[in-house]
Amino acid sequence: MAVGLYYRVGFRLEEEGRTGFAHLFEHLMFQGTERVPKADFGQLITGAGGVLNGSTRHDYTNLFEVLPASALEMACFIEADRMENLDINEQTLQNQVDVVKEEVRVNVLNRPYGGFSWLWLSQYAFSSYANAHNFYGEFADLEAATVADARAFYKTWYGPGNATLVLVGDFDEDKAMALVERHFGPVPTRPAPPVPDLVEPIPSARSEHRRLDPLAPNPRVAVGYRTAAFGTKDHLPLALASRVLTDGRSSRLQRRLIRERELLLQIDGGPHFPIGDAFEFKGPALFTFEATPRPGVSTERAVTAIDEELARMAEDGPSPDELLRSKRRELGSYHASTDSRLGRLRELGVLAAVHDQPELADQLPLLFQEISARQVQEAVGRWLRPERSTVLHWLPDLERGKG
Amino acid sequence: MTTPDRSLELTSEVPQPGPVPRLRVGRPTRARLDEGLDVMVLARPSVPRVELRLSLPAGSAIGGSSAASALLRAGILLGTRELNQEEVSESIQRLGGSLQVHQDHDRIHISASALSEAEAELYHLVCQITTQPAFPQEELETERVKLIEGLRIARATPQFPAEEELQQIIYGSHPYGRPEPPESAIRKTTRRQLRELHRATFLPSSGQLTVVGDVEPRRTVARLRRAFAAWTGPRRTVRVPRVHPKNDSRVTFIDRPGLVQTVILTGASGPPVGHPDQIPLALASAVLGGSFSSRLMSNLREDKGYTYSPHTMTVSHIRDSLVGAALDVRTEVTAAAFVELAYELGRLATVEVGQDELEQTRNYLAGVRVIFLQTQAGLASSLAQVRAYGLDHRYLEGYADRLAAVSPTQLRQVAARYLSPASVTTVMVGDATQAGEALGRVVPVRYRGRRRAGTA
Repeated sequence: MAVGLYYRVGFRLEEEGRTGFAHLFEHLMFQGTERVPKADFGQLITGAGGVLNGSTRHDYTNLFEVLPASALEMACFIEADRMENLDINEQTLQNQVDVVKEEVRVNVLNRPYGGFSWLWLSQYAFSSYANAHNFYGEFADLEAATVADARAFYKTWYGPGNATLVLVGDFDEDKAMALVERHFGPVPTRPAPPVPDLVEPIPSARSEHRRLDPLAPNPRVAVGYRTAAFGTKDHLPLALASRVLTDGRSSRLQRRLIRERELLLQIDGGPHFPIGDAFEFKGPALFTFEATPRPGVSTERAVTAIDEELARMAEDGPSPDELLRSKRRELGSYHASTDSRLGRLRELGVLAAVHDQPELADQLPLLFQEISARQVQEAVGRWLRPERSTVLHWLPDLERGKG
Repeated sequence: MTTPDRSLELTSEVPQPGPVPRLRVGRPTRARLDEGLDVMVLARPSVPRVELRLSLPAGSAIGGSSAASALLRAGILLGTRELNQEEVSESIQRLGGSLQVHQDHDRIHISASALSEAEAELYHLVCQITTQPAFPQEELETERVKLIEGLRIARATPQFPAEEELQQIIYGSHPYGRPEPPESAIRKTTRRQLRELHRATFLPSSGQLTVVGDVEPRRTVARLRRAFAAWTGPRRTVRVPRVHPKNDSRVTFIDRPGLVQTVILTGASGPPVGHPDQIPLALASAVLGGSFSSRLMSNLREDKGYTYSPHTMTVSHIRDSLVGAALDVRTEVTAAAFVELAYELGRLATVEVGQDELEQTRNYLAGVRVIFLQTQAGLASSLAQVRAYGLDHRYLEGYADRLAAVSPTQLRQVAARYLSPASVTTVMVGDATQAGEALGRVVPVRYRGRRRAGTA
């Protein structure tokens, strides 16, 4: 079965001067308690035949295990224990600051296209600190983090009042609820503070930015459009539009720009791409395309071509067959995801914790089937417009790249 | 520092879980079609989908040119005599499914899925792309550019040259020592070569087809017979040459000035799937670096903070396997991290693992297998993988028992044979000027790349 705790805190709630703190703190949640010390923590779960991990995103952080159903009580004990009694100390903090810096090095600084585009595009596309800071963290900020910061963050955001527990698998619901009650019931309440309004104005003119990468051999480009908020009328039509536009070789943009017009080698995209989907965010978010031009084609030319194809989609909408195929794919991937305990946990977790609508998980396939070509066409016409976008040209740094 | 085996009695307050559940795969239906295609079908009606895997001996080690093999892999998706590449993609999308082609050194794997109501159509489509690829010239040119540019990007990562160098040292001129083709070979490969390679390797008698999902096996076999009836070909066995692995006790250091981390990759030739040493070595590898609580994680990450994700890995081949460990560490701790890695390898090869740690690791490996096989896709991929080594569902179901049978002595012996500091080869990629001096004090280093002689 899968056990997941979703805490309603993510990158956007980090304080100024503490960039990267939400993710750093997620690491501290694996550092043990008095009753389950650091070295035992992972061993208990792997030794029961399970796997464990966690992730930090814009508007939530999850901690999860997939393990045999007979280990449910152990998982409840461990999760309730680290919700109440986390051991935050100087030694583990400094250790995890080091580890997170290595994570940033391996994923961003020591590889070509590091952090492209999710880590950088939002820093240009948004203006408020909450939405536009470095989510992985400036090294100076990570190094400045203190035990007192961590204790305050824990107290504020990691209480039961700010968490949703999700269980998926083969188990008796009544017995499971009794175990949950036994272990989480005694954890003292820590009501979460209200979350600040993160909304900011939608841009009215395209902004263009360049970053040079000494390790990248080829240019790439990302175009991010402010996307429709969860639950608004264009939200699901835009999610379906991302399938029509970039899902597979028969999608509109791959067919037109890679094969017919021979401008690109690759294009992909969608709401909250590439680190999430249409349901993974609560505050403002981007609908992003990432493209690699063919050698000899400029990133500017690539962006113009994307604009042209989106304008066509806004003009003519998807064909009946394009719409049908996108819906069939949506249905197939719903079933595939449901087949996996962890896949199911992720769907339910985000819908329950971030949007308080877990029942939506099983309604989505039907809601997608009801979307019309006109809804997709109008949503694309309203949101995927050049003046609402931010462009990031990612270019090889020819000077430094030669070493 | 050492990471002592902690007894779980320390945390006796923690509710104890039951044993890891036994894995039940169920009995698949086997059939051999008229032209020799080997079929296995397993009903798993968890969701209304069907997963298909078709495995053929058309890997990069087959046919003398890894460039032709790579283009063959890409070419399969470029359309058939009847459908162009977009029409293939449209067809699979209408079935609510997906279609991918992967390749390793030994085989090409076609992975496809569909909603189960479209089962029969899926088989016809897969047969068509498998047996009638058109390799259209214009699309092939685009794939050539995509392949070349994709490799340029891969080569720009610090991990790629480490993998390439390690495989070259271990396998020499054997095709396993040549992970990716050079650009010039990709440019020169002709459409005719692809056709010939396809004709020589896409033979029904050497193919293995696995279907898992919401299906009725007998009806599925009948549907497969109809769909694949047109696939004919001579009965021929395609062989990969034997390996003659070597090792090098020096560290090979590839200089990339300006990198902020050093990639450390260490490995050796190990046993193939099904070899008696394979399961004990899988346990040894997991103790060393297979999970969040492994020794490399406990020591190099959770104690020293040198690295984010140290791990062991196994790449399976028909002739052997490549076993080893990989970590990325900040440049200034390169030598210190190497010392700890060598210590952990040496400890595993000389000191017997404690019963608690062994038991936890057995449960972990058995549990991970149960988790992976819970989905139709995981089950289909696992069955297809073991079938490539002449094994079947019984291998998967008996995995936990074979883990249970491994003693601490056996584990130490296989670790000593394959993963000891004396048997592995280590390659590093990083900034040699920054890392080289300290490293040279702990191990002999052979430099490759830009580093000038005599600077350390």
